[in-house]
Amino acid sequence: METQDFDQYDDLDIIPTYEASIVYLETPESVINAAGGANFYSQDFNFDAFAEDIFSERVLDGVLTYDVENTTSKRLDLTIEFLDVDGNVLDVESFSMDPAPTAVLRREIAYGNAGRSMDIIRNTSGIRLSGTNLGDSTSTSTLPDPMVTLKSSGKFRVRIK
Amino acid sequence: MKIRHLFFSTIFWVCCYAYTQNKQLLYDFTDVPQSLMVNPGVKTDFQWYAGIPALSGISLHGGSSGITVNDIFADDGLDINDKVRDRAINGMNIRDELSGTYQLELLSGGFRGRNPDYFYSFGIYNEGDAIGYWFKDYAILAFEGNADRLNQEFDLSHLKTRGEMVNVFHFGINKRVDNRLVVGARGKIYSSIFDFNSTRNKGFFVTREGQNNLLASTLDADMKLRTSGISELEDAEDNGNLASTIMKRGFFGGNLGLGLDLGFSYNLNEQTVITGSLLDLGFIYHANDVQTYTLNGTATIEGVEVILPDALSDPDADFWQDLVDEVEALVPFEDDTKGYITFRPTKLYASIRRDFGEQLESREICDCNTVVARGNGMRYRYANSFGGQLYMINRPRGPQTALTAFYLRRFGNILTAKTTYTVDKFSYSNIGLGVSIQAGPVNLYLMADNLLAYRNVADTHYASFQLGLNIISWGKN
Repeated sequence: METQDFDQYDDLDIIPTYEASIVYLETPESVINAAGGANFYSQDFNFDAFAEDIFSERVLDGVLTYDVENTTSKRLDLTIEFLDVDGNVLDVESFSMDPAPTAVLRREIAYGNAGRSMDIIRNTSGIRLSGTNLGDSTSTSTLPDPMVTLKSSGKFRVRIK
Repeated sequence: MKIRHLFFSTIFWVCCYAYTQNKQLLYDFTDVPQSLMVNPGVKTDFQWYAGIPALSGISLHGGSSGITVNDIFADDGLDINDKVRDRAINGMNIRDELSGTYQLELLSGGFRGRNPDYFYSFGIYNEGDAIGYWFKDYAILAFEGNADRLNQEFDLSHLKTRGEMVNVFHFGINKRVDNRLVVGARGKIYSSIFDFNSTRNKGFFVTREGQNNLLASTLDADMKLRTSGISELEDAEDNGNLASTIMKRGFFGGNLGLGLDLGFSYNLNEQTVITGSLLDLGFIYHANDVQTYTLNGTATIEGVEVILPDALSDPDADFWQDLVDEVEALVPFEDDTKGYITFRPTKLYASIRRDFGEQLESREICDCNTVVARGNGMRYRYANSFGGQLYMINRPRGPQTALTAFYLRRFGNILTAKTTYTVDKFSYSNIGLGVSIQAGPVNLYLMADNLLAYRNVADTHYASFQLGLNIISWGKN
């Protein structure tokens, strides 16, 4: 008769991987031109997705993926900063883009293991987005609907058991 | 919280073990009074009987149409994570079911009327029943997640479960119409202790490529969980009066319902009998301590979206909270206390039986010889019988069926044994044995299913056990 070993339950790992979009920023070139100065946008906002206990207490590691595309006629800088509950900056990711035509910039940032500290993710409760115009404020790209976009998604492993 | 934990644990384990309610050993086992409970039209020859309270009928049924304990916990050197992934997550399908059934007779008795063609039976029993089907897509989401599964819809209808605990008060009439036909009916009052059901869920969760952002997550849900009695039992547990609350709800203090059993036995000829019964044609109306939870709507999100120049209009905008509010508005999670009706899991039995061999003396009271007795509607009892039985039960994913072949042997009026071979979704090798022992007025019966599985209980897909103790009188010394 085959025997059973119920202590195997202790070895059972339930570690799914979830992914979803994080933040999307879209700024038409007309808005950049209308801002006039170098800094055309900067805003802090609440972002509690990572701070929820069910996530922050169980997340093991993950990757944030960014796609940045510039179809405007000017060089631009975009920055995304992760803030803790007191507004302190935990992490910064900056993107510099040449005027169109230019390729989509994809960047993947790992957290946990050999990547950046997971505490950045666990303690994030806000995001600051800012954009800087490094060109002029009058020209307009000949491409249709010129704009700068920042797309982002997260893929994280979470220990359920 | 313990009850909630127990509630969800039950659902989980029900996903791994399936229990059926087929009582193929007891069916048409006319030496045992409890055979009236599975066919109120069974032929009876008792003058009266009385079940020993709480011991007259105990039945437990268990099995698995998916995996067994051994499939996961065998000491075979394999990684349990691989076994769970291969045998449960990917190995089971949504028709693999999980449920549990037990029945405990609290009171049981019966007596023959002044007109000997009528036999009346009555009693109270407590029954627990739960069923769930393998929630495959939920399990994939929980064990593996949605990553790298673009465009794969996770089907929310895979959550299909129901369960209850109920006390049943019943009174049955068994009438011998003539020497060929016996019919019976049993009225039932159900007193529900608790109930939960979530059987008509629809919708999906899917991750697709986003229109603006990288990914779009869509939830299209039409889900409902209805419960009654759960909150009161939780409160009772916190207050330390769980037992008295169960008693109160079980004795007309919960939700009530009505039901009916019907049955017959018909002699095609002297030695061939067909029988049939329809059990638990009934419903329970839940109006007391009802909680219904719904999740209904469709939402697609692509993360926090900051689109200029619109986003500039409110520098204090809380994009995250706006997103949460939008999802909650599109897919509201609501609860209410409206009453609802549940229908009992209706069961159907049918059989054909061929009697042969030695004719046994009738035990029924009668101032007559055997031949006259037969003229009064009584028939010989034979030492041997064989035949086939059909069993069907209405379940959330449609009827389940079992086919049984049986052989019954009487050794005088002392001992009767019945062996069965049953084929159903749980097993193709289910051999059962039931024994009824009559020691004077004392009747003891023991029945067990799937005997081959006892070589390794942990590896069985099905097992059941029934026992009972009665006092029976045929009116003879």
